[in-house]
Amino acid sequence: MMTPAALIKRAAPVLACIGLLAVWQVASVALKNDSFPTVIEAVRAIPDILGDKESLLNILASLRRMAIGFGVAVLVSIPLGLLMGRSRGVAAFFNPLLMVIYPVPKAALMPIIMLWLGVGDVTKTLVIFLGVSLPVIYHSFEGAKAVEEKMLWSGAAMGLSPAQRLVRIVLPAALPEILTGCRTGLVLALITMITSEMIARQSGAGNILFNALDMGQYDTVFAMIIIVGAMGIFLDALFERARARLVRWSEPQFDMPLSFS
Amino acid sequence: MKARQNGRGSNDAPHVCEGEGLSGRFLAKLVLLNVRASETRYGMTVVAARSSEWMRPVTSQEPASAIIEIDRVSQVFQTSARKDHLALSDISLTIEEGAFVSILGPSGCGKSTLLYIVGGFVSPTSGMAKIKGHAITGPGPDRGPVFQEFALFPWKTVLGNVMYGPRQQGVRTAEAEAQSRALIEMVGLKGYENFYPKELSGGMKQRVALARTLAYHPEVLLMDEPFGALDAHTRTRLQNDLLTIWERDRKTVLFVTHSVDEAVFLSDKVVMMSKSPGRIRQVIDIDLPRPRRRNELLLDPRYQKYVVDIERMFDESDEAGPVS
Ligand SMILES: Nc1ncnc2c1ncn2[C@@H]1O[C@H](COP(=O)(O)OP(=O)(O)OP(=O)(O)O)[C@@H](O)[C@H]1O
Ligand SMILES: [Mg+2]
Repeated sequence: MMTPAALIKRAAPVLACIGLLAVWQVASVALKNDSFPTVIEAVRAIPDILGDKESLLNILASLRRMAIGFGVAVLVSIPLGLLMGRSRGVAAFFNPLLMVIYPVPKAALMPIIMLWLGVGDVTKTLVIFLGVSLPVIYHSFEGAKAVEEKMLWSGAAMGLSPAQRLVRIVLPAALPEILTGCRTGLVLALITMITSEMIARQSGAGNILFNALDMGQYDTVFAMIIIVGAMGIFLDALFERARARLVRWSEPQFDMPLSFS
Repeated sequence: MKARQNGRGSNDAPHVCEGEGLSGRFLAKLVLLNVRASETRYGMTVVAARSSEWMRPVTSQEPASAIIEIDRVSQVFQTSARKDHLALSDISLTIEEGAFVSILGPSGCGKSTLLYIVGGFVSPTSGMAKIKGHAITGPGPDRGPVFQEFALFPWKTVLGNVMYGPRQQGVRTAEAEAQSRALIEMVGLKGYENFYPKELSGGMKQRVALARTLAYHPEVLLMDEPFGALDAHTRTRLQNDLLTIWERDRKTVLFVTHSVDEAVFLSDKVVMMSKSPGRIRQVIDIDLPRPRRRNELLLDPRYQKYVVDIERMFDESDEAGPVS
């Protein structure tokens, strides 16, 4: 049996969602605006989208680009960030480069990339890659920098080579920080995914959304927002669960997760 | 770590240039003798002469061979506040194989730094340290450090931490695990094998750190106040355990401590350091019988005299600063 306190804790996220939807419903009924459908209208449009083969293929194409962009970014960024955190030379080389890219909205690069690579998958995936890379590099860098020197010395005394120390000491020691970066990266992947499809409309979830907007199908627009939001919540919760498992050893005693899981 | 390239060269080249036809082993011996002769000239006798009453009586016993030689080592740190800070000044010390040597001195006198130099984690600004006649250019499994800060791997359990060294050395998992469990029991942490470091107290972490280093059987133990965070009871127990291990294996131990009691109880030789700059003030041979039993030793007037005399010197060095 769950105690009342545990029940409330369990139910809190659901209650928050219901509350948000209720506010929406009341606001849209009160405003009586064509471009602001009620929750019920929006939710009713969801099965239409998910039942449509074409829409489904669009969404799957989006997810595929996002997965590839995110995966490649993580695979490149973690080693790069760790190397930067442990080697002054590597950091000195990449720092200025990253500082130039950092403040530029990745979507703003899209027109140029489109000129070079067209409006297809490569361009969109590249933009997602760019969006995810920076937070992951940054957090890996910070994590690697903070690794206690004596820990590396202990490893060296046991006979670990510099490369082994990077993989077997710096990587696990920095993992909590790295995964924080990856979590930010995951949400950014979703955001850049939609943005890229808004700029280069051709396929994807963003394509459905903005086409519907052009045609004044506001219930579809809001249904898509719900679908994309739900995808984000689901992916984030999934990731948070994996993260918590991987870094159980580092969690503070008083833990307050910021997630839906 | 950068390889050092100083005047003395690496691997004793200057000493052996004349002996081309000799076998390597013989050469190494020759080199050792050579270096030890010079050590006495520059370091030890000069220091020890100030305290002739402590000089070990000349015995007919064959002298043990030097395993670690610290030769005129100085360490300068660039600090933000004071520009150049001389942490160690002209330290020369020879440690014989199998000896238990304690380094005693006020906080900040460079004890840890000296240990790091022998460990190969820090290269000295000038001078050099050698192990078995070879210049120390980096860390190696022949020298096992136990750091003041523990430096456990937080993502590994107690067992995982202790097994790390043996596994790295290629010991089979089952064997490494059995050895590690025995060590964990020895340091009094049976039942905590699957705890993570964050779930341990400071004293428990310290014991894990000790077990982790003992697990890969280094020839030389470099211990930086390994019992500093322990309660008196555990401390005494671990001192006894360490002595037992040491009396069995005769590992060379370089042991940093603040405690005069501890230094006298454990050591063959106590190196007293003074501060600003860190210098060797005195090297005191502790001529007490072994195996040492705590309850016997505490009643021994010779032990008491050592403790009282060293404590007095300690106080003097606090007041007077370095002996110049
Ligand atoms: N990385 C560093 N950079 C600058 N100064 C340092 C560094 N490490 C040590 N020092 C300085 O060198 C001196 C010796 O430090 P060390 O840690 O060796 O002292 P210690 O004898 O071990 O002290 P304690 O007993 O408190 O551990 C100190 O004055 C310290 O300020
Ligand atoms: Mg110290």
